[in-house]
Amino acid sequence: MLSKYQARAFFLGGTAVFAGIFLVLTFDTHRQIPKQTNADQITPQVAAGKKIWEANNCMGCHTLFGEGAYYAPELTKVVERRGKDWIKVFIKDPEAMFPGQRKMVKYDFTDEQIDQIIAFLDWCGKVDLNGFPAEPPLKKLMQPAADTASNAGGELPPAVAATIPLPAMFEQKSCTGCHRILGKGMPGVMLPNAVTGEVVPAPALDLVFQRKTREELIAWISDPQKIKPGSPMPNLVPALVSPQEVEQMVDFLLGLKAHAPAN
Amino acid sequence: MKFQSQKIAYWFFAAAMLLLVLQIVYGFIMGFARIGMDGLHDWIPFNTARATHTNLLVFWLLLGFMGSAYFIIPEEADRELMWPKLAWIQLGSFLLVGVVALIGYHVNWWEGRKFLEIPRPLDYLVVVNVLAFLANIGLTVWNGKRYTTTSIVLYFGLLAAALLYLPGMIDFDNQTLDSFYRWWVVHLWVEGVWELIMGALLCYLLIKLTGVDRELVEKWLYIIVGLTFLSGILGTGHHYYYIGAPRYWLMVGGIFSALEPLAFLGMAIYALAMAKKGGRRHPNKAALNWTLGSAIMSFVGAGFLGFAHTLPQVNLWTHGSLVTAMHGHLAFWGAYAMIVLAMVAYVLPIMTGRKLWDNAAAGFAFWLSNIGMVGMTGALAVAGITQVNLERRMGLDFLAVQKEIEVHFIGMLLAASLFLVGIVCFLWNFWRFGLPSDEAVNSDVRAAERDLSRIESTPAAS
Ligand code: HEM
Ligand code: HEM
Ligand SMILES: [Fe+2]
Repeated sequence: MLSKYQARAFFLGGTAVFAGIFLVLTFDTHRQIPKQTNADQITPQVAAGKKIWEANNCMGCHTLFGEGAYYAPELTKVVERRGKDWIKVFIKDPEAMFPGQRKMVKYDFTDEQIDQIIAFLDWCGKVDLNGFPAEPPLKKLMQPAADTASNAGGELPPAVAATIPLPAMFEQKSCTGCHRILGKGMPGVMLPNAVTGEVVPAPALDLVFQRKTREELIAWISDPQKIKPGSPMPNLVPALVSPQEVEQMVDFLLGLKAHAPAN
Repeated sequence: MKFQSQKIAYWFFAAAMLLLVLQIVYGFIMGFARIGMDGLHDWIPFNTARATHTNLLVFWLLLGFMGSAYFIIPEEADRELMWPKLAWIQLGSFLLVGVVALIGYHVNWWEGRKFLEIPRPLDYLVVVNVLAFLANIGLTVWNGKRYTTTSIVLYFGLLAAALLYLPGMIDFDNQTLDSFYRWWVVHLWVEGVWELIMGALLCYLLIKLTGVDRELVEKWLYIIVGLTFLSGILGTGHHYYYIGAPRYWLMVGGIFSALEPLAFLGMAIYALAMAKKGGRRHPNKAALNWTLGSAIMSFVGAGFLGFAHTLPQVNLWTHGSLVTAMHGHLAFWGAYAMIVLAMVAYVLPIMTGRKLWDNAAAGFAFWLSNIGMVGMTGALAVAGITQVNLERRMGLDFLAVQKEIEVHFIGMLLAASLFLVGIVCFLWNFWRFGLPSDEAVNSDVRAAERDLSRIESTPAAS
């Protein structure tokens, strides 16, 4: 059986060998990280954003690269998911956008600081993370359910939808973050009502002209919370969407009537 | 207790117990926030509660380690502590820095890097403080009448923990590098040098409580900490899979971190085998329960539940989900909280001369806290696995999934209440022991100790 002397040699030898390998790998990692993370794109703006991220301990609720806390969403790909405009409005007053939901701290950031944070998150989203976060593999299986959910609203036939250009503002202003419009955007995102707890789909908007009048649509987009308290649909007006833009959106949606197959 | 200066350990333990209670309070604040009861949000938002909760944990564990060292080192070195006064100053200043940091978290003064939230200026004070601690116990070992493996492993564990704190203080503009070195602190602490500390404390307690031959116990200590470093150093790679580091870490981290449970398994088998071999039992059953409990629960929490999500194929889905929080709770509890509580349970009768080791409160403390913690872990496991399936695999929205799993946090809070009752029992006993006394040296407790050390000095009867 092993003597104490041999046991100590095993400990010291093993530690030395594996610490050595670890240091070599660390050296190599340093060599490779600049390329893998696009370090050349870490502008002073990105660096400033990281400082703000740390100074406010955003990681105390969110994860970034999967590290942090599990109280609020993972933010690595948030710029890709929501768009810069949406984030800008949201940070200024998180509760206004998601009333009654889990709360986020309301910070008094300047516009410049918010741009820095977004630049930092944008850089994070482009780092090669070896496949994280992965595309949900079962999403495809969920597709029929999602389709049914968005079909609560109903869609134009794909062949028709493909011929109609969707104005950029529907994507820029984050509508497609929850709704499907002309085959674009998330299919039937399911979200809870903060008051009733009922989980409802964000309906597709192609056929909304069948369900709502111009006045109703304008009233709804301008202040969903007034019409359905606790609705997961955020208040986007006037912070992100101007009243004028609301009218343009509504006119476009009602205009789709012309494309509806006659029946 | 042979030496007057060992008494300082009592005050380290007392402070640790106080912080443990505060840690639990902040745990409850977060638990309630998760079921929608977030009335404190304007004063204590979740990130404040979380930083406070986890820092209090690290803080009281470090106090526990330091107190243990101040108790064990003089005894093992067979001399008084080098500078007893310095130990007092060190305790006071350590608490002061900690309290300032915790207050800072409530006024948005911190460095938002998970587990290393302490603001930079305070980091330097921590370093100075720990240097004073290391010098004090280091010179005690150095000038001691005898050198034992236990004291040397304990010392080097503490020294290495201090050194590894430094890489966490390097500034980077690159989030990937920032995270890379953050793990040098966090991972190499809990899956490296802290295991050295735990191993040394376990070894000391086994020698004292089971009466098994020191040579044998210490030989196995080397094998176990050898296994720890063999797997744990390269095992750091399990945090480098998905943070923007090269792809080979998936292989390196996967293989070596999968070996990490071996060290914990070794620890559990070793503790149980020594307890059996010792035959003769110390009357302090509570301390033996905590000691063996720690060896077993660390295997379950760190070894088994760590392994459950350590392979890159699994971690791709569980990374940064409540599955991690599930593992974090039982691992910290089993490996580090329980070993500190074992030291407290062992040391108190010796210091105070009271034999409160086999009463109902001690039993409730052990069983209720453990059952409560296992229940909390179970609730987090169900919440975590559901989250992974709905959010990561089916692609549902984050907040919608959080609503779905809210109910498991009610379960977690119930289990946490049970846990709290257990801790209250522990503290009640702590209180009843009273303060350390000089007469303790001649008490029955000492007699029991002497009995066992006679066995210890003769080769183990196997
Ligand atoms: C006593 C020892 C241990 C303690 C106290 C501990 C604690 C923790 C904590 C607190 C975290 C979260 C860290 C963070 O996100 O900042 C974590 C993560 C992790 N631990 Fe452990 N752990 C221990 C041992 C182990 C072992 C032995 C294994 C593997 C066999 C393991 C596997 C993991 C993995 C894979 C993660 C990353 C989870 C993720 O990707 O989100 N741990 N551990
Ligand atoms: C009554 C008891 C407790 C409750 C209700 C509680 C609750 C919580 C909650 C809600 C979180 C945050 C998870 C998130 O980010 O969403 C957390 C984090 C954590 N708690 Fe506790 N906790 C309690 C006791 C403890 C104890 C006794 C320990 C250690 C022994 C502990 C160790 C930790 C650790 C290490 C983390 C960070 C985990 C990670 O980042 O993965 N907690 N706790
Ligand atoms: Fe680790």
